[in-house]
Amino acid sequence: MPEAHVDAETRELARQLAAVVGEAHCISDPAELSVYECDGLSHGRVRPRLVVLPGSTEEVVQVVRLARAAGVPIVPRGSGTGLSGGARPTTGSVVVVLSRMRRVLEVDLEDGWVRLEPGVINLDVTRAVQGRGWYYAPDPSSQSICSIGGNVAENSGGAHCLKYGFTVNHVLGARLVLDGGEVVDLGGPAPDTPGYDLLAALVGSEGMLGIVTEITLRLLRKPEATRTFLATFPSSDEAGDAVSGIIAAGILPAAIEMMDTLAIQAAKAATGLAWPEVGSILLMDVDGPLAEVEHTAASAIEIARRAGALEVSVPKDEEERQLMWKGRKSAFAAVGRISPNYMVEDGVIPRSEIARVLREIGRMAAEAGLRVANVFHAGDGNLHPLVLYDARNPGEEDRAVRLGGDILRLCVRLGGSITGEHGVGAEKAAYMADMFSPEDLETMALVRCAFDPDARFNPGKVFPTPRLCGERPGPYRPHPAEVAGLAERW
Amino acid sequence: MTPLRPAQAEDSILGVAPRWVAEPATVEEAVETMRGCARDRQRVAFVGGGTDLGVGAPPAGLDVVLRTGKLARVVEHSPSDQIVVAEAGLPLAALQRTLAAHGQRLALDPPFAERATVGGIVAANAFGPRRTRHGTARDLIIGLSMVRADGVVARGGGKVVKNVAGFDLPRLFVGSLGTLGLITTVTFRLHPLPEASATMTVARPTGAQARAVVVALREAQLDPASVTLLAGPDGPSLGVRFEGFGPGVRQQVERLAGLGPALGLRFDLLDGAGAEAFWARHELARTSGAVRVRLAAPPSAVAAVLEGAVGPLTGGLGPGWATFDPWAGAGFAGGTPTDTGSAVEALNRARRALVALGGSLTLAAAPPGVRTGFDAWGAPPAAIEVMRRLKARFDPEGRLAPGRFVGGI
Repeated sequence: MPEAHVDAETRELARQLAAVVGEAHCISDPAELSVYECDGLSHGRVRPRLVVLPGSTEEVVQVVRLARAAGVPIVPRGSGTGLSGGARPTTGSVVVVLSRMRRVLEVDLEDGWVRLEPGVINLDVTRAVQGRGWYYAPDPSSQSICSIGGNVAENSGGAHCLKYGFTVNHVLGARLVLDGGEVVDLGGPAPDTPGYDLLAALVGSEGMLGIVTEITLRLLRKPEATRTFLATFPSSDEAGDAVSGIIAAGILPAAIEMMDTLAIQAAKAATGLAWPEVGSILLMDVDGPLAEVEHTAASAIEIARRAGALEVSVPKDEEERQLMWKGRKSAFAAVGRISPNYMVEDGVIPRSEIARVLREIGRMAAEAGLRVANVFHAGDGNLHPLVLYDARNPGEEDRAVRLGGDILRLCVRLGGSITGEHGVGAEKAAYMADMFSPEDLETMALVRCAFDPDARFNPGKVFPTPRLCGERPGPYRPHPAEVAGLAERW
Repeated sequence: MTPLRPAQAEDSILGVAPRWVAEPATVEEAVETMRGCARDRQRVAFVGGGTDLGVGAPPAGLDVVLRTGKLARVVEHSPSDQIVVAEAGLPLAALQRTLAAHGQRLALDPPFAERATVGGIVAANAFGPRRTRHGTARDLIIGLSMVRADGVVARGGGKVVKNVAGFDLPRLFVGSLGTLGLITTVTFRLHPLPEASATMTVARPTGAQARAVVVALREAQLDPASVTLLAGPDGPSLGVRFEGFGPGVRQQVERLAGLGPALGLRFDLLDGAGAEAFWARHELARTSGAVRVRLAAPPSAVAAVLEGAVGPLTGGLGPGWATFDPWAGAGFAGGTPTDTGSAVEALNRARRALVALGGSLTLAAAPPGVRTGFDAWGAPPAAIEVMRRLKARFDPEGRLAPGRFVGGI
């Protein structure tokens, strides 16, 4: 296609979109567009055709209609903090940024929910209600900057989802704009809306079903008490035993986080915490009614000691507790202090395999001549290996990418998953075939096709091989592209 | 293909008789059966323990009933990972016995545990009083394998609790009533069996008082496993159950008892036998009556639910029972009406009241006469068009449990 033709087309689309969202909220300048070339995953940048920032559901509807008429793909985006390239633009796409839609619309503490727009920042949900003793449970480490819309797209978790569940367990309703510009409301404050649980299909669909413009979230009353302790261990073997022992004792902690030596060094460098440089640290929260919490905290500490803890420390006040958690939550970024470059992986293994997997990762890293720092949600087996490398050394980045992939395949081999909370996005689509059969993927794509048959929204993500939906369900008809030998049919 | 046997009267679903019955002994045989049905364009419905067949509408037509009863194996139980993979036809009670030997349970407690199968529980979204804390199948399912209408075998989710790889097929199948595919295995996350449990009751509370108890529990930051309002022939009572470690349960019992005077209520702590009897009555309330309905409303509307829905139903369905979880906003009512006309009128009134509150009323059991005058699902939900498109993708020929689901799906 001649370049000038594309430009004219894009100019015309930009003019139409600007008429909907306002000149100031339609970006076509190449320098400004470059801001949106990637999300939290910085490699593999793609410059979008245009970026728009709509201010309302009505504007989103108009934007979708215009993009559809122009035959242009749409990539929804929240704060752009995702770590799997889920918001990476598709070539030629319009990126729809929801960050201007950040109103809290309604708070109902009688029934414990809040209705809000997708651009609201995760932590701001809790801030809006904490004065009255309520909070929003899912707490991804990026919670001070990530948006609820992005959390819904990725089904975000966080340290405390061990006890409280993921985003999907806390979304009561959503307003969704479909490819045809239809607006549908799913769920609501009453449970058990008759029909298919489309809301469950929507949460975690990585922006591939439509654009969410309103969300109703469940709020929880703050627990009466929280007890936190930090235990140090000679190695991850003893720490892994402690985790297994705590779970086997019937304790459901709010969170159990594990960090290895490298991750401890990084967190210390970033926060100035006086943690000892031991083989492994466990940071654990138990919360709930006071007596229950005191009992379980005491049991858990006893189990950690029996498993070989070197030292167990309990924060003396809330400030010290927050500092401990800051050390954990800043671990990803902190690794930047000890390595010029690093990649964050996100695999899941059966919890009982922790120690074995860490040893295996150590062996694989040594073989690749690289270092791996391990930070993870030990209670649910969600590993975040941070593969450290120096991009200035020829070939090192490629080795790091290969090592990351090998770690994910190890997770799958052990019965785990290629992602516990970061999503598949662009980065891990290639690994989906390691975890799922072609039939599994085809079946998941049926859901996509029901919502978005033209693959308008976020095409090219999640699925390893882009394919087409049949034009319509029913008797088989070959798609024109299939006849031309360009694509396979679902 | 698994041999089919000619259907008997007891193989009918809501009065619609299939021609054939298949009872595959293995997942492979079930796949064969599904392929045969696809090849021969047979309409097929799935039956587990048959305990919730009254949910939804009668099938529009039926050729084959596929019974999952012989698919009853525990495929994998990993106590240290707190997960279990079970075949669809495994009865809940059998599963719980296996898990209990390791100090664990599936935190789902719908009625008829000896017969209700895990696949059926998922398909019908069946639940019990522990919903208050643990939610429904949607909150506990982590993986599922199934056979599609075209005989293709597929799997979603996995064997680990935390997993966001791919679209969420397991949760989509919860409550889908066999209209998207045959569930062959289900993977659940498990919870430890509680060390201690205690049930407290309040006699004859009003709806407003039940609501006040929920607010008080929340404000006191207590963590009940079950809260239920049980209305029966002897009048209503409210049950609150705590589960956990001994010290935690004891303290919560004391705290709740201490809240009584301010609420003007007396909380009685039941002994073991008393608690057992209370929850047995609750189960009876869930399962008795020729007409049974599921109720849903915002939890804070408990008084309006009692007045607008439970009141008319108790009148119109004859003497019966009702339960409502004022924490979760879900309940049940049932009775055996002597007069179809007044039963239908009561159902309509109750549905209107719940819909006005933002909730719903759906049929869980009813004789044909009542069904003639009263739609099992009510007005289709807002997203019905997307639901139809979903059904058309999974089952383009409309052969799986046709007509059983909302909007005639």
